[in-house]
Amino acid sequence: MVKTRTWIIIFGVLLAVCVGVSVLVFCRPAGRVANIYRDGQCIYSVDLSRVAEAYEMTFEDERGSNVVRVEPGRIAVIRADCPDQVCVHDGWLADSGAPIVCLPHRLVIRLEKEAMADGVAR
Amino acid sequence: MAWPGNEGRSPVRRIVMDALLAAVALTIFVVELQIPMPVPVPGMKLGLANIVTVAALFWLTPWDAGLILLVRILLGCFLTGRVMALIYSLAGGLLCYLAMLVMRRIVTPRQIWVCSVIGALMHNVGQMAAALLVTGTWALLAYLPVLLAIGIFTGLFTGLAAQFLVARLKNLKL
Repeated sequence: MVKTRTWIIIFGVLLAVCVGVSVLVFCRPAGRVANIYRDGQCIYSVDLSRVAEAYEMTFEDERGSNVVRVEPGRIAVIRADCPDQVCVHDGWLADSGAPIVCLPHRLVIRLEKEAMADGVAR
Repeated sequence: MAWPGNEGRSPVRRIVMDALLAAVALTIFVVELQIPMPVPVPGMKLGLANIVTVAALFWLTPWDAGLILLVRILLGCFLTGRVMALIYSLAGGLLCYLAMLVMRRIVTPRQIWVCSVIGALMHNVGQMAAALLVTGTWALLAYLPVLLAIGIFTGLFTGLAAQFLVARLKNLKL
């Protein structure tokens, strides 16, 4: 039998590692280009440092729609017709390594150094 | 009846008990979805319905626990209309169940919470693997450490709940 104390130590170490990796991932300085992916394919790119005026875009397919708002230096999903609304609650993405994910519509927004969509970066 | 896991129990009593626990798990599952999460992390939840699975695993047999889990996942997805989430739930549930089957032989009655924490972690791993396979979006992996860290706490909580439940259920003549 493994002692309870051993289990507590194992879980404690695991917790520390997970928290450490999370901090590294979320605090890593990200690029300034927002790439929007659907099904792993980049469908739109925008350099947030060059956005002069805020605008909104709707990304729609047969699974549903997400309304994305782009402002100077930041980007967010402001409306979605998915059941869980996780992407909307994710809020603004400005300089974090954590992506905005809408799992039901398989839409991902992440900040990267380079534009991944062809020729649509503004 | 030649169903595995009967072990001298009346099949009728067994069906009633499993159905009852599945209903309890399903209710907890549906109610839990109404609780808003403080941090928006895709795939994160309390996993309160797992209390029933863990309790059944130790109080009844692994067969009962597996049946209850399967019924809860299938009906839960159909009831809430989240058929999309069925793949993730099934992958997470299956991996969680297999891990807890192994842990069941290792832990003592006072360590049921350990089994639950391992189950919660494996649920996250299975769910994440399914999401990666289905969506092909490796960016999701960024959330795995957060999910695991939270999973340790939620697994501990549900595991302790199941542990106290089993300790008391064993005193009942059911």
